[in-house]
Amino acid sequence: MAATFFGEVVKAPCRAGTEDEEEEDEGRRETPEDRDVRQQLARKREVRLLRRQTKTSLEVSLLEKYSCSKFIIAIGNNAVAFLSSFVMNSGVWEEVGCAKLWNEWCRTTDTIHLSSTEAFCVFYHLKSNPSVFLCQCSCYVAEDQQYQWLEKVFGSCPRKNMQITILTCRHVTDYKTSESTGSLPSPFLKALKTQNFKDPACCPLLEQPNIVHDLPAAVLSYCQVWKIPAILYLCYTDVMKLDLITVEAFKPILSTRSLKGLVKNIPQSTELLKKLMTTNEIQSNIYT
Amino acid sequence: MASRYDRAITVFSPDGHLFQVEYAQEAVKKGSTAVGIRGANIVVLGVEKKSVAKLQDERTVRKICALDDHVCMAFAGLTADARVVINRARVECQSHKLTVEDPVTVEYITRFIATLKQKYTQSNGRRPFGISALIVGFDDDGIPRLYQTDPSGTYHAWKANAIGRSAKTVREFLEKNYTEDAIASDNEAIKLAIKALLEVVQSGGKNIELAVIRRNQALKMFSAKEVELHVTEIEKEKEEAEKKKSKKSV
Repeated sequence: MAATFFGEVVKAPCRAGTEDEEEEDEGRRETPEDRDVRQQLARKREVRLLRRQTKTSLEVSLLEKYSCSKFIIAIGNNAVAFLSSFVMNSGVWEEVGCAKLWNEWCRTTDTIHLSSTEAFCVFYHLKSNPSVFLCQCSCYVAEDQQYQWLEKVFGSCPRKNMQITILTCRHVTDYKTSESTGSLPSPFLKALKTQNFKDPACCPLLEQPNIVHDLPAAVLSYCQVWKIPAILYLCYTDVMKLDLITVEAFKPILSTRSLKGLVKNIPQSTELLKKLMTTNEIQSNIYT
Repeated sequence: MASRYDRAITVFSPDGHLFQVEYAQEAVKKGSTAVGIRGANIVVLGVEKKSVAKLQDERTVRKICALDDHVCMAFAGLTADARVVINRARVECQSHKLTVEDPVTVEYITRFIATLKQKYTQSNGRRPFGISALIVGFDDDGIPRLYQTDPSGTYHAWKANAIGRSAKTVREFLEKNYTEDAIASDNEAIKLAIKALLEVVQSGGKNIELAVIRRNQALKMFSAKEVELHVTEIEKEKEEAEKKKSKKSV
């Protein structure tokens, strides 16, 4: 414990472990009630993969059911908007499933009925080439749910002959650099790839001591462990909500092998993006 | 370790940062873009209008405000903070006129606003104002002025500047395109402001609001039609320039 200048008491971090051993002993004795509550909570937080039309769960993991050569995952609303306007607009994509999950960050309390506008994590494959998959994930997947998500999607023994591309955004203030954040050319793109990914990235690699967080980190770690070639394109931006300039910062990826052949009409896609922006504007009077 | 030094505004971090001031600058980036241009005989303020809710009265959502007959400002950041600063500045303008019998100079009122903002970075229990302001106007000597203030309380004179979301992109555009020719006439200066905003405004001309002050004239707010006219002119010029380019390459 340490006292600050203002008289508040702050707990100093201690590597020796907790000082109160009595609390630990009490914690070990779990009543049946506690067990029930814990099980209920675990069921509520379970990640379920199902087919939306039939509302039936998928019996095996997504990539065990279908063979996959290319998998593009968009996490966050800007990445999702980019894939919606540039990739999904250029081909016929069929929905193969969606991941339903609940955690404290979800805005909806109804975990049973999922409307088409609320689907959190939707998976598609290209009709003309069913081994190309796409995932649009616009919800937050909590730490305890990330492994479940990976298992339900990739399975316990994933194939190595597929290529994974992940797109996501992060606020520029999370970017650690010796320059001041005011001088950074945000939005800007950084890449991080697994050892087995041999192609060049279309932007500089993420430097130390920067780290990747949440679901993108979980997917990348999973791919590194299972020796799957994967690359993450991380866009650092100062506007986390849906923003045209942030989405356009992903454009260099269109020329990479990951998205080659999947994007056809770029001017039309830009128009679609602009429409998406205007329909999604949220009203707030705090900032003008 | 930022968390230990950003609780109270009056605390410096070991490497000399005032984190609350820096966080206030992030709040400014959440406001929509505003651009200011100082021409030879005109000063222009252009802002990206926020889309107004259906039931909201559009007149009450204003980013450009007059401080006096010959000075006006545009801000980016927290709406409520801006209202407080603008009110204080307006009172100061009138108080100055009554005491000294002269209207304020643009530099005077900018310094007043900047001093006010700085006070709030050095007071216990207060947070800085989360706004940046672009203040424009003409002094009695007939010289056009453009100043910019930020939450730290600094102020500088500029030939052209932008604040708010994507300000960096707009500033880079201005650095490339602000030439003596570009601001030679009033019309050209207005077009430069609109072009700069079109770089970052998401839905084109109908979301742009413009205000100008000409020498010895009062502040003029452009109507939506007038802005549209200028935007159409700019688009025509763009098309013609592109046609010329394609002809040359053929």
